[in-house]
Amino acid sequence: MGMTITEKIMAQNSGRDRVVPGQLVWTDVHTVMTMDYLGKQTFNKLHDLGVTDVFDKDRVICVSDHLVPPPTEQFATMLNQWREAVREHDITHFYDLGRQGIAHQIMVEQGHVLPGKISIGTDSHANTYGAVGAVGNAVGVTDAAVAMATGKAWFRVPESVKFVIKGEWQPWVMAKDLSLYIMGMMHWNGHLIYKSLELEGPAISALDMAGRMTLCNMTVDLGAKNGIIAPDEITAAYLAPVAKGSWSPLASDPDAHYDAIYEVDVTNVGPTLAMPDKLDDIVPVEKVVGRKFNKAFVGTCTNGRVEDFAMMAKILKGKQVHRSVNMLAVPASQTVYLESLKLGYIQTLIEAGVAIDTPSCAACAGIHTGVAGDGDVVLSAGNRNMKGRMGSKNAQIFLTSPAVVAVSAITGEITDPRTFSL
Amino acid sequence: MAKIQGTAWVAKTYVMSFDMIIQRFWTAPIDPVENSKWVMAGVDEAFNRENGFVDQGYTFIVAGHNFAGGGKSIEHCVTGLMGAGIKAVFATSFARLQFRNAINYGLPFVTCRDMNLHCATGDVLEYDPETGIIQNLSNGQTFQSLPQEPFVSEVAEAGGLLEFVKRKIADGTVAELR
Repeated sequence: MGMTITEKIMAQNSGRDRVVPGQLVWTDVHTVMTMDYLGKQTFNKLHDLGVTDVFDKDRVICVSDHLVPPPTEQFATMLNQWREAVREHDITHFYDLGRQGIAHQIMVEQGHVLPGKISIGTDSHANTYGAVGAVGNAVGVTDAAVAMATGKAWFRVPESVKFVIKGEWQPWVMAKDLSLYIMGMMHWNGHLIYKSLELEGPAISALDMAGRMTLCNMTVDLGAKNGIIAPDEITAAYLAPVAKGSWSPLASDPDAHYDAIYEVDVTNVGPTLAMPDKLDDIVPVEKVVGRKFNKAFVGTCTNGRVEDFAMMAKILKGKQVHRSVNMLAVPASQTVYLESLKLGYIQTLIEAGVAIDTPSCAACAGIHTGVAGDGDVVLSAGNRNMKGRMGSKNAQIFLTSPAVVAVSAITGEITDPRTFSL
Repeated sequence: MAKIQGTAWVAKTYVMSFDMIIQRFWTAPIDPVENSKWVMAGVDEAFNRENGFVDQGYTFIVAGHNFAGGGKSIEHCVTGLMGAGIKAVFATSFARLQFRNAINYGLPFVTCRDMNLHCATGDVLEYDPETGIIQNLSNGQTFQSLPQEPFVSEVAEAGGLLEFVKRKIADGTVAELR
């Protein structure tokens, strides 16, 4: 029997001809990412191991994203300790304030993740790396420290589940809508827990890298171990100017085993939302049209890319954000910011009454930059909506696509982009 | 390994990682005793005070699907439970991040389907790590859990992944890990 792409990657990187689901293997790790929030703890664990040098200074990637720019003295001090630890280890790629971005965006856009390789990071949305055909996996600081010391990590080879996405993308429908749609199909009740989630089909081939990143990003929220899309010409073109290392194409074998294969016709997927508090409480936009909200937020490792800024700018060009709404947009990296600036998107958004902030995780994790207070109703293009996620437990968070956020920001109530005339 | 006996707390709904360790402690140093003081504070209002969970004196947790879900990579969820005296967690399924962390710290996260439907908070359980058999001494029911992988036991016996790897580094066999 053949192997799935994830099984192949785990076999190739552990010096085996084949692996089977359930098997525990130690694999080589291509890159290890850690960030300001847990990075100091990771380096502390490295010291606990009695190791002074990381396995490869070029392949330990350090990023400041959760705490920058620091909103409090406490975070400023944490950042100083973090910077000291990074410098002490002479890490080559340190994306600190000024060169920053959300770690997962940085890992992909700067070519630190490659098809056929395994990269890990101390933040849950490391699943994003599957967009280029890598196995991307989130780990705790202990695993990250072990990988920093040895270049290795242990894995349980996951069972695989395949989603074949067919049909035509409808106007105003984005990869985020499909992510939420799949969340509504599968829920949190165990179907995808610990599974490798493979996405393929004509509607995936038609998707740009930004959309692929959004889809793989949210597979962690489905409970999956990793999300992965086999590399193709779009991947190759994206990686050509940035890849830090060489790679070879690979794909699942036609006779690979899947625990389940699901088919989705994207033609039937419309603008979609997650209702406040529960990520798997999914509704089509029609069900919530007219709901009032007072904060609009677009950014994060899920939807803070140039393509997301393009969509917002297209909708908000010559329009005004409603007086009852405060809208904040945060690019996922300095590269995204600069590109959006050059393309005129930032100016369009500012003219429409959108506040732009410097790249960071911003309000998504409820740490800083636009956190929610009591009574806030937030329409967010982020990835999580649990009570208290963005700040107050007495705030509500709807999750949706940048298109729905932008259109709704104009009207001041949740609006179906398909019914809105530009 | 000897059998373990004690009382259980049984989850009624999903137990999420960000409720096990509430946000203000996400960046706290990893220390089982310190982490235990506010562990589970967001899971149940009864635990939302200093030592709220510790004071209950539970030995086991029994849960349904996706225990410790919600995708946080912080290790405090596991160290907090260990500091609170939890010796094993039984669940229908575990979220992968905390499943990993539990293995790395040597706390048994034991897969046992639907046990939550047949146990109540306060029941006395007896867990035999050798056989994977769990007995509910309060209602007489018996459950067979999935056996632990040898690697999981090896890491636990070493005192966690750091010690396990440290020994491999010390005896020069770390490169042989595969």
